[in-house]
This record gives sequence, structure tokens and C-alpha cells, in this order.
Amino acid sequence: MSVNYATAAVDKASVMRGLVSKIRVPLGSEIYNRLLETLYDEAAALDERRFDDWIVMLAEDLTYTAPVRVTRNGPNKDRDVMRTMMHFDDNYASILMRTGRLAKSAWAEDPPSRTRRFVTNVRMAECETAGEYEVVSYLYVERSRLDNPENETTSCERRDIWRLADGGYRLSRREIIVDQSTLGMSNFAIFL
Amino acid sequence: MLQKATFTLADGATLDDLVIRDTNEVSLRVMNDHELYKLEMERIFAKTWLLLGHDTEIPKAGDFIVRDMGEDQVIVTRDRNNEIHVNLNVCPHRGMKVCTAETGNAQAHRCIYHGWAFRPDGSFIGAPVEKEKMHGNQREKSELGLKKARVRLYGGLIFATWNINGPSFDDFLGDMKFYLDQLFCRTDSGLEMLGPPQRFVLPCNWKIPGEQSGSDGFHTLTLHRSLMEGGIMGGTAESIYDNAPGMYGVDVSVPQGHSLRCLEAAQTFKMFADVSFEGKTTEERLNLLPPPGVTKDLIPQLFKNLSKEQVEQLATIPPQVGGMFPNILLAFIFAPRTDGGSSGALALHTYVPKGPDKVEFVNFIFAEKDAPEQVKRDMLQNAIQQTGTSGIIEQDDADTWPQIMRNSRGAISKTMTLKYQALHGHERPDNWYGEGLLYPGFTKDDTQWNWWLAYYDLMAEA
Ligand code: FES
Ligand SMILES: [Fe+2]
Repeated sequence: MSVNYATAAVDKASVMRGLVSKIRVPLGSEIYNRLLETLYDEAAALDERRFDDWIVMLAEDLTYTAPVRVTRNGPNKDRDVMRTMMHFDDNYASILMRTGRLAKSAWAEDPPSRTRRFVTNVRMAECETAGEYEVVSYLYVERSRLDNPENETTSCERRDIWRLADGGYRLSRREIIVDQSTLGMSNFAIFL
Repeated sequence: MLQKATFTLADGATLDDLVIRDTNEVSLRVMNDHELYKLEMERIFAKTWLLLGHDTEIPKAGDFIVRDMGEDQVIVTRDRNNEIHVNLNVCPHRGMKVCTAETGNAQAHRCIYHGWAFRPDGSFIGAPVEKEKMHGNQREKSELGLKKARVRLYGGLIFATWNINGPSFDDFLGDMKFYLDQLFCRTDSGLEMLGPPQRFVLPCNWKIPGEQSGSDGFHTLTLHRSLMEGGIMGGTAESIYDNAPGMYGVDVSVPQGHSLRCLEAAQTFKMFADVSFEGKTTEERLNLLPPPGVTKDLIPQLFKNLSKEQVEQLATIPPQVGGMFPNILLAFIFAPRTDGGSSGALALHTYVPKGPDKVEFVNFIFAEKDAPEQVKRDMLQNAIQQTGTSGIIEQDDADTWPQIMRNSRGAISKTMTLKYQALHGHERPDNWYGEGLLYPGFTKDDTQWNWWLAYYDLMAEA
């Protein structure tokens, strides 16, 4: 029996690795500690819904995206981050639009969810531009909505670039790699 | 009305107790009933035409996507003859999924369990170890292919049904075709799906988003209040109810349950409030304010692909939101942005039932294939920011529906009714070209009630 089992040609896109730069910022170093502290501060600002404090942490050239994942097999099985479609496709202006909306009639978060952002597995490296750092972290979010005793959760990896400016770090790029191809969270009215 | 054969649930309730035609009410219990859900899967999702995707998702021979027809999963393929097939993703051998990926390319689909293999058209190639004839002697190879659905492409959209000898696709569309052509069949190259769909699951019955897709215009004013506060739709937070932006237009529906809201841009959106069509020709109007998703370069194509009457409507009062029975929502909206731009957003959703209390929201995002890359990029971003997972419009819908669902569980709550009593009665507006049931003026409940009548009709047929 001659059956042609050939499946798709391998996609051009390379398999994505979280951290690209090879110049690591070692765990426990001063820069590592400051950036880790920044991630914790950011998580706290978002959990406590202090959006003004969060906005201050963002660079004006921000890109903030979350590509969809799909289930693939065969030669493309590890090429499952589809950047042709996103769950978030935002920039600084649109994030301001979103936080502005959250201050008014945004019923998806009014009453607000109670959230906990757990940030772990943080790895850092230096970018080519001095003062810019690649920061890759895992994020796990528990979201309690209304009186529902079952939390909605999501897990993802965040591939960030943080830039040193005015004595603090500003987020200039975040790509959120969600783990689910079909999200179990009813909406992304919260930031990741 | 002719009394049709119907059903009786275990507690004695009949279809007439659920969809109460005398008073235009629907019992809230329909949102949470296992018996009814089972009947819906058989009488609606195994019977009527369902949207699965778009042919631009599978451009090459062997390309496939996996989608759902109710709870039945199917493989949508393109074969070497460029024909599109929809095959049940259930191995005829012992029931394994033949295809475990969501998308890909394969000239043969081989079941990983015992290796039976199938062509993109669903036909059975054979089982491994051919000489031992592992498919047995009782059935011919021609009987062992994947179960095939009936397929129809419309404007590149892939529709399928299990009702092999049932109503034609044209009967399914009915008078809605005149309006839907204006959205799906208006340019030479047609629409392009910009990427795989966003998918997420909501804890609610499929009919909660379903009935809203029957053109619930009213909720825009309140649930989507932030659109007025943000200065996108006309009016301000203070004048929402005086201006009632987006509420006046012509709602259209058909007995098949599909509906659309046709809206003038100037009456709906702040940034177009000063655009005046007074004394302008059709072509001038199109150039002044192209319909959502259409670029100026594409305007000549409209005249080529559509009738004079269809172009005339598109140039004046284009269909913008609506749905197709049972589970499609469409939003072909101007979608002005807060940064002053407006490239439009074109999105279709399917609400796929995943049990009586779960629905998968599938968001397909489009642009015209021949639009410039930058326009496509802007439209994608616009659609993502307004619809689906993180969309500022639909976040609020996604949070509301599960709360209706929770209410449908209470012994007392479930006896409450959904009311569709703000009825206009159909009436033909002046200078109107299309057919169907027409409701000019302030949006009312008529189109959504027609959605329930379509539900009644299908559920009444065993
Ligand atoms: S179940 Fe598919 S080959 Fe046996
Ligand atoms: Fe809505």
C-alpha cells in the first residue's frame, strides 16, 4: 500500500525560546534584584487596581501583545505560537484607553475581580541597547469573580523588555505566551 | 399557526410552555435543561447549516482545520481538486479522533490508534498490514470512510450540515442574502481570515449569546455604555438616553431567524456626526465614507459584484451588526478608534455549545483580501481591541451571560421569563430595496423574537 503520510513542510518561523540574549544577568545580582522587585511591584499595582501606578511603569513605545496558541502536530508541533492572531494587540495609547474605561462603566470589572498574580521562574539578560533588559517570567493568575467560589485561572510566560529610565524600569515590550489554545478565562478584562 | 409535532420533557413541560408565543416570552429554564439540550443537539445542531470557517484558512491542497458542529467535531479539508470537505473527526474503526491537531496539512489522515488512514475527501485508504486485511470482510472499503457532511461555500465562508437532503443553503439564507452579499460577496477577491480564531469558553448556555445575536440593539445603550463615555458612539455620558446613538436604523430579519441592524454612520458615531450625504450620488457617498472594511480602491468593485440596489444601501445605511441562526454573530462595524482612526472591524463569532452550561466563543477576524497590508494590520488590531477575548465591547457581554446562567438554576428563578414584548411590527420604510421583515426606527425586540420563532420551528420538528 503506498500511502503518502507527508504532512506540512516545516514552517519558516523558528521555535521560540523565551530568552534570546546570551548575556545573562545573574540571579542575585543588583540589576536582577531591582528588576525582580519591579515585577513584584507591577503585580501588586495590578492586583490592587492601582492603574495609575501601573501606567507610570510603562514606556511610551510599549507594545503589549498576546498571540494565540494552536494545537499542532508533526514537523510543526513546536511552532504553535500564532502571531497572525492575538488576544491582546495593544500599545501605550490603547492601554490608556483600557485603563480609562476601567475607571468608568466597564461592567466586566465593575464590580472588580479579586486577583493574585504569581510571578516566578524569572530569567534576565542584557539587550544590545545599554540599559535595556530582556526579562522572561512565568505568570499564574487566580481571579475571583463576584460570589463564584471557583476562581478562573490562567498561566502564561511573559517575554518582556524593560528599560532603565529616570532611576526606574519601564516596560517597553511584553509578549504574553498563554498556555491554552482555548482560554478558560471568560475574558481578558484584566492585564497579564 | 399550524400546530406541529413537538416534545414533552420529563416534568410534562412542552415546547409551548418554554417558548410562549401568546405573550412573547421564553421561560428562563431553557437556559439550563439537560433534556432540552440533548434535543437541541439533535434538532438544531445536527440539522441546520453551521458556520465552520473560511476557505482562506486552508489555501493549499491537503490543508485542514478542525472545527465543531455542536458537540460533533469535524475536519475541514481541501483536496487536490480544490474541493472542500467536512468529515466527522471520529474514526470509523473504534471512535478515536482521526486528527489530533487543530490545523495543518496532510495528504492522508492516519488514526494514531490502529492506523486506519483516510484521504482529505474522507474516503478510506486502508488499514496497515494490507495483506492481513485488518478492516475485516464484512464491509467494503467504500463503506468505511469518514462520515461526510454536506458543504456549501458562501463568500468563502464554509458552511456545513448533516441534513443531507434538507433545505438548500439558499432556502436557509432566504431574503437575508440581499443584505449578507453586501458584507461577504462585494469584492473581486473577497474576504480573508487574518489568522486562526480566538477561542475561549464561557460558563453559560449557547442560547444566551445566541438570542443576543438576534440583533439585540437595546443593550448597546447600557451594557456598552463605555462606548458613549469614551466618545466613540455619539453623545456623552450625560446625554446617552437623549441622543440614543446607534438605536435608530432599520432592523431586518427573516423567519429563518437571521437578522441585521442597518445603521447610518452619522446617527451612530461621533466622528461621523458631521458627515452629510445631502445631494450626493452613490459614488460620492461611498468615497466620502466607505462602508466598514472597504477601502477607496475597492469601491469600483462594489458596482461590479453587487446590484445597484445593494450598493445603494451599502452607501447609505450599511448592515453593521446582527446574526445568523442558530449561533453566529456578525459585526462589520465602523469601529472608530479613540486615536481618531477608523479602518473598521470585521468579525464573525460562532457560539459553540459544549454542554448545557458551557459555550465556546470562537472569534473569526477578517479584512478584504485586496486591502493594503497596513489596512489589514489596523483592522486586526481594531477588531482585537473591540471584540472577542480582550475586546472592550465584548468583555462586558462575556461577564453578563454567565450571571444569567447562574440565575437559570434557581427553583423560582427558572420560572421567570425572558420578555420580548417591545414589538414594533414590520413595516416597509421608504426607498428600501431589500425584502424580509423590516423594522425601521428605534430598535425593538422583533428580530430577537423572530430568532425564538426560528428556534421553535426547528425544535418542533422531530
Ligand atoms: S480507532 Fe482509529 S484505527 Fe482504530
Ligand atoms: Fe454586546
